[in-house]
Amino acid sequence: MTLQSNAGDLRAAKLLMWLYVDTGLAVFALMALAGLAMRAEQAHWLAFAPTTFYSLMTLHGIGMLASMAVCGMGALWYIMRADGPLDERVAWWTYGLLLAGTVAVVASVIPGKFGAAWTFLYPLPFIGTYWPSWATGSFLVGLALVTLGFTMWCAQMLGCVLSRYGGLRGAVGWDYVVHAKEFAAAGRTPPPPYAFAALLMGVDGLLTGTVGMVIGIAMFVHWLDPSVPLDPLWAKNLTYLFGHAFANLTIYMALACVYVALPRYTGRAYHTSTVLAVAWWGTLLFVAIAYFHHLYMDFVQPRPLQYIGELASYLSALPTAVVSIFGATLLVYRSGMRWTMGSLFLFAGLIGWLIGGAGALLDATIPINFSLHNTLWVPAHFHTYLLEGVLLFIIGWVFMMLEERAKRSSSVAVRWLVGAGIFGGGAIFLLGFYAAGAYEVPRRYAMQPPPGPEMASWASVGAIILLIGLALCLAEAVRLATTRPVGEPAVASASPAAAS
Amino acid sequence: MTLGLAVFAAFLVLAGGIIAIMLAVALSSRARSEQAAVQAQGYALRRWWFFILAAAIAASFIISLPSFPYPTHAATAGGEPHYQVIARQYAFDVPASVPADTPLVFDVTSKDVNHGFGIYDPSGALIAQVQAMPDYVNHLPFTFHVRGRYTIRCLEYCGVAHAVMQAGFEVR
Repeated sequence: MTLQSNAGDLRAAKLLMWLYVDTGLAVFALMALAGLAMRAEQAHWLAFAPTTFYSLMTLHGIGMLASMAVCGMGALWYIMRADGPLDERVAWWTYGLLLAGTVAVVASVIPGKFGAAWTFLYPLPFIGTYWPSWATGSFLVGLALVTLGFTMWCAQMLGCVLSRYGGLRGAVGWDYVVHAKEFAAAGRTPPPPYAFAALLMGVDGLLTGTVGMVIGIAMFVHWLDPSVPLDPLWAKNLTYLFGHAFANLTIYMALACVYVALPRYTGRAYHTSTVLAVAWWGTLLFVAIAYFHHLYMDFVQPRPLQYIGELASYLSALPTAVVSIFGATLLVYRSGMRWTMGSLFLFAGLIGWLIGGAGALLDATIPINFSLHNTLWVPAHFHTYLLEGVLLFIIGWVFMMLEERAKRSSSVAVRWLVGAGIFGGGAIFLLGFYAAGAYEVPRRYAMQPPPGPEMASWASVGAIILLIGLALCLAEAVRLATTRPVGEPAVASASPAAAS
Repeated sequence: MTLGLAVFAAFLVLAGGIIAIMLAVALSSRARSEQAAVQAQGYALRRWWFFILAAAIAASFIISLPSFPYPTHAATAGGEPHYQVIARQYAFDVPASVPADTPLVFDVTSKDVNHGFGIYDPSGALIAQVQAMPDYVNHLPFTFHVRGRYTIRCLEYCGVAHAVMQAGFEVR
């Protein structure tokens, strides 16, 4: 594979990537402070009204997911752009729609006090509300704009992989897997690993965005005319299909960063194999159907869907643990890898993904979910997955770009300091959730029963240490970004996104 | 030990194992081997890993099946005593008491938004739950074996007083 775009083209593309990633990380930082405020309130360190707590919770939830998605979208878009032409106008329009949607959502929550949680489960946004009706409308409009932008971006990804790799058959690697001999004899090559992440966004992302728009529009119609009824079970299925898949997709976008960045640190190649292609087929399916586990406690849900939910949740571990994470780990094993901030975060992200996945798998077991559903065990595992998985992949990617630009890396002392803050503080913060979940403390409580407040105190201490680590990380990133590069910029290598 | 604490213990063992293996891999990176040689070993290991994980998945699924909490047709058809539970912002209508050692069914619904009907036993452990949905009735079959005061907590975010939406009943 060769780099098809010239350096001038890529400069504009890189600007776009930094715009997405920096915006996402800035939103993350604000939402992290909101999260700390909520944990401190649950620990009785701070005192504010439940209305403020639930509005903050709504903003924190949607803001965090959007921030990770925006970072992943920026990075994956750049990776695909570095490999060939991609219309930048779509990325700009998407960014504009995401921004406009964010403004509407923030308006609904901050002056409007909207507080139906980011899941806005029907009919909560309309009944017994403590916020004005316009705030619900503003939230739904904001959500529609964000979803429209996301869907447009996913459509571009789909178009990209279909045109580059020979339609759907080529993009999924069908002939490469099923007609291997003829495929090789014809001198064809399968799509690179990161292209499967783009394919996933093109297929499952498009599905997710469409579902999000359907439920959003249905609720908007209900907002306009409350006499138009919605079926609560139908609405719940659509809401969780959208919410679960959207959250899940963030890590697969970030996985593309791992595919591209880890080979640079290890000096080894990350090629598409038959196993990798088949694993992505599984991921294409499981991302779309694992969401049924969110409805385990809705006993009126058709029973086969509950069985499918448990099985799909379990099976989603196979492509992740056996192929993606195992493959990345094998790349590092006895590789003589350069340990820098970038490689440290990328590797640590694999650990966070595995541990968060283990917590999720336990909760995906229906008899266990009977006791843990909607306890703090749920935020425990998804905070692990997002904070010590997706976020670390993104920060790893950022540092890889900065280190390549500056042609230098951080000192060992800085790495230890940042690592102690992010991993040590992160572990304490997350254990506060897991332990409270083990004691079956309910989630989304402004005031928790014991031992919730005690666990929240520990979690708050962990969160503060974690935030100090992230602040040090930011300072180091700024130092690298403002360091004059040593010699000339790196020469484009055989992998994409090389002209950093 | 409650189920939650048992799951936590299992989780800590799994997380510890994951960290140990990944640290070993990180330490191994101080040495350098040819990728082809490492791949040959790795792919053989991956085959085993796949079969072990697939077997664990199959076993977990099969083992979990008999413990699914869903009602049988006989229970919903009225073969066992039914108790109505109605949730609304921010209260539960629940029976004052239910019998111990008797299979029974809670018929759970909601008058407004989604709620969660979570039953905490006298020791504070969450022993059963089901969603309370508007327009639907969820049937929760259960048998209590310990007498005492049980607490009901809402387990689905339902609005500003969600955290104080509680009720209780006696098991006699």
